Amino acid sequence: MGTTASKLGKDLLSEYQELTFLTKQEILCAHKRFTELLTKDEKDLPNARVPMERILTLPELKSNPFRERICHVFSTSEDKDGSLTFEDFLDLLSAFSDSATLEIKSHYAFRIFDFDDDGTLDRGDLEKLVNCLTGETDDTRLTPEEMRQLISNILEESDIDKDGTVNLSEFQHVISRSPDFVSSFKIVL
Amino acid sequence: MASDPQKQGSGKLYDYTEGNGYPGDQQALRLRRISSPASSQNYPQFNWSSAPSEEDENGNSEPHRDLRSAPLPMALKRAIRQVQQMHVPVVSSVESWKRKKTKSLHKLKDNARGFLTLWNKSLQKIGGNFGGGVQSYFLFLRFLVVLNFVSFLLIAGFVLIPNIVFRSDGTSLANSTGPEKCMEYDPNPQGLVVFYKYFLDLLSGTGFMEYSYLFYGYYNNTLGEDRNFSYNIPLAYLFTVVFYFIFCLICIIARMGTAARVAVATGGSTVANYSMIVFTGWDYGCLGGKATKLKQNNIHYRLQVDLEEERIKKQAAALTSCQKVVLYSLRVLMFLISCGLIGAAFYCIFLATNFSQQRSGEQGILGLIFEYLPSIVITAGNFLVPLLCDQIALIERYAPSTTVIMALLRAVFLRLVSLGALLFTLWRQITCEGHTDSGACELCQYNHEVYPCWETRVGQEMYKLTLFDFLINVAVLVLVEFPRRMVVDNWPSKLAQWVGRQEFVVPYNVLSLVYGQTVVWTGALFCPLLPLINTIKFVILFYCKKITLFYNCRPALKTFRSTTSAFFFLVVLLFGWILATAVMIYSLAEIRPSMGCGPFRFLSNIWSIVPTSFYSLSTTTQEFLFFIGSQAFTIPLFVLSCVVMCYFIALASVYGKNVALLRAQLKLEGRDKQFLVKQIAELSRQLQIPKHNGVQDCR
Repeated sequence: MGTTASKLGKDLLSEYQELTFLTKQEILCAHKRFTELLTKDEKDLPNARVPMERILTLPELKSNPFRERICHVFSTSEDKDGSLTFEDFLDLLSAFSDSATLEIKSHYAFRIFDFDDDGTLDRGDLEKLVNCLTGETDDTRLTPEEMRQLISNILEESDIDKDGTVNLSEFQHVISRSPDFVSSFKIVL
Repeated sequence: MASDPQKQGSGKLYDYTEGNGYPGDQQALRLRRISSPASSQNYPQFNWSSAPSEEDENGNSEPHRDLRSAPLPMALKRAIRQVQQMHVPVVSSVESWKRKKTKSLHKLKDNARGFLTLWNKSLQKIGGNFGGGVQSYFLFLRFLVVLNFVSFLLIAGFVLIPNIVFRSDGTSLANSTGPEKCMEYDPNPQGLVVFYKYFLDLLSGTGFMEYSYLFYGYYNNTLGEDRNFSYNIPLAYLFTVVFYFIFCLICIIARMGTAARVAVATGGSTVANYSMIVFTGWDYGCLGGKATKLKQNNIHYRLQVDLEEERIKKQAAALTSCQKVVLYSLRVLMFLISCGLIGAAFYCIFLATNFSQQRSGEQGILGLIFEYLPSIVITAGNFLVPLLCDQIALIERYAPSTTVIMALLRAVFLRLVSLGALLFTLWRQITCEGHTDSGACELCQYNHEVYPCWETRVGQEMYKLTLFDFLINVAVLVLVEFPRRMVVDNWPSKLAQWVGRQEFVVPYNVLSLVYGQTVVWTGALFCPLLPLINTIKFVILFYCKKITLFYNCRPALKTFRSTTSAFFFLVVLLFGWILATAVMIYSLAEIRPSMGCGPFRFLSNIWSIVPTSFYSLSTTTQEFLFFIGSQAFTIPLFVLSCVVMCYFIALASVYGKNVALLRAQLKLEGRDKQFLVKQIAELSRQLQIPKHNGVQDCR
């Protein structure tokens, strides 16, 4: 938004403070980091959109196993390519911030884990989720036997209506019983 | 077909914004989704004609908080906000001023909270890099620092400052009645003192440090008077110490309350364990490839351990009775061995303390070593015995989670027992093994030859323990952890890689904190400035541990759950408090105070200052206090508290039943949904309506 030494307007800043969970310092820091990602031409555009590859160079996201899913979930791009504008970036940081509520964190966590975007976590989603958690290489994956045992255990514990998938309310029910979730679902620049 | 590419790209996409309570034309949205894939999939078609449901006059914070918690993209939130602002009723200037003031007050409160909380940024950084378990250790440390500092302010205000003010004047409260020999107490060093002796005195609290505000012996039993204001120093001393203990208890219980609330709400850690690990296990604050890999290994390890534990449980249930007998007898044997180890440590400390007392008075470095012998033996025991207990635990073959808890409980027990052993030996020597009418204790009811001022002596022991604990921590840091890291980083050998970098083991660090705090509590009666020394010690420890964490340690492979652990740390701290309270009560009630020093000389025990001062109060106050202590008051009070407790128990059970009911209702609704879907499929088959996307959307 403007030149290289661009500053956020005061109105915009207070608007962002009201619409997100971020403090003023966090928003300014996010603005600084985001403008570092922009090329010279993009800096002049008002609502520049940064492609996913460049977003993923951020150290906070670079080694996160869910980085691509995170970009897809928060992207408002029509092409579904995971590119983010600055406001998408702020939405991302707001959901991952210190003061965000449990509801919004669990909502976005559900969307991140829903790899096929069908609104529920079925066996395929859960399997991909576990593989992301343990690592993609062959020696860090669980054996198929263990995976099967694990997924049936998960479904037995969380699938209340026994339809073979975990929907949003079942997911939030599990999350609400975990006191560590809010502190671990955090990305701070 | 035209709808096929749409189906792939957009038909199955779930609209997450549907159920959010914002009025919108949901039906139209679904149809629209089929016909135009290019239109905004995630945006609900907001119905501009209807007003938002909450129009509150309370202030601007309500709708804005709702907006922030809405999982919508920024542009949508902005649009909604504009609509809300358009619908805001015309307010008077007074109301708008009020709203602005509440908003600025909120902001000020948030800023102040961030500013006043100690070390907030450091803790966030630690939590982000090393996880909740390590962060809970530092939160516990911060709690202890604040507790000690507030206690110091308490003691300074009621004991130290009045003593400084009324030092010179003041009438003695009790007349000197007693054998002359008992009142001989001359702590000031005689003649020329060697230069390095000052350093030794600083470390052991003797010499120039003994007769100072640091120890009990310096305080007088005077009644400070100033015009028409009198200050009873002994009474103040006693009441301050008692209140200090009660204050610490209240703080611990209050903090336990908040931790327990969370632990109870989660309903036990074994329920929904796998879902918990998989859904909430990832720490998004992990930075860098190495930390990520470690976290992934960690989760992999946890899942494997839990799956294996499940398999072991199934196997254990299938054990034959012969194998069960063998396993249980093995466990009993190991338990006896661990008790034996702890008993052996107890005996060693006893011997060391005896030896140290016998050889006290020696000069030079050897004398210093003899003085510090009990502390050295305690620290060595605390280092060796947990190692051995870990090996024992391997043989016992409990489930992994039980093993960790057993190991910690043993370590806690060992630490507190070693402190108890030291105190026991001291008691034996002060009271001539309990027989206060025989031997050296006959004259003054305590061993006045060896201990002309025994309270100061006990205070010195506690002071030495605190100091030694601190020096050991710093020494380990400098001499073990930094070199270890340098060796591991710079020497590419297999051995170095196998040893690896230091791991920050939370439970043992917490135990060391609890031990230090217990020592301070035990010594508070005899060394009033010990909380201040402890505050300084813990502050330096915070920075040292932080430095070692960031430079020398790698994240732990086996994580320690952060919220249940906070509760566990406080429970262990409570054990330490109970030990210290037992010691304090015994010293107050049973042992005769020294006649040569201190504010309670010439009394038969420390507590008897209270009845003595009681009778100097006015008659009405006396009668009032008698009434409060009598049965006419306490029995109704007891009955009332029982009634209140029953009410809360009933309330808690009602909430529990509510939760179970709601869960059952959730299940029923799921079944209803399945039933309805089957009905629709049935009907559509009967009426031969072609399968529509609408059916998929219903799911």
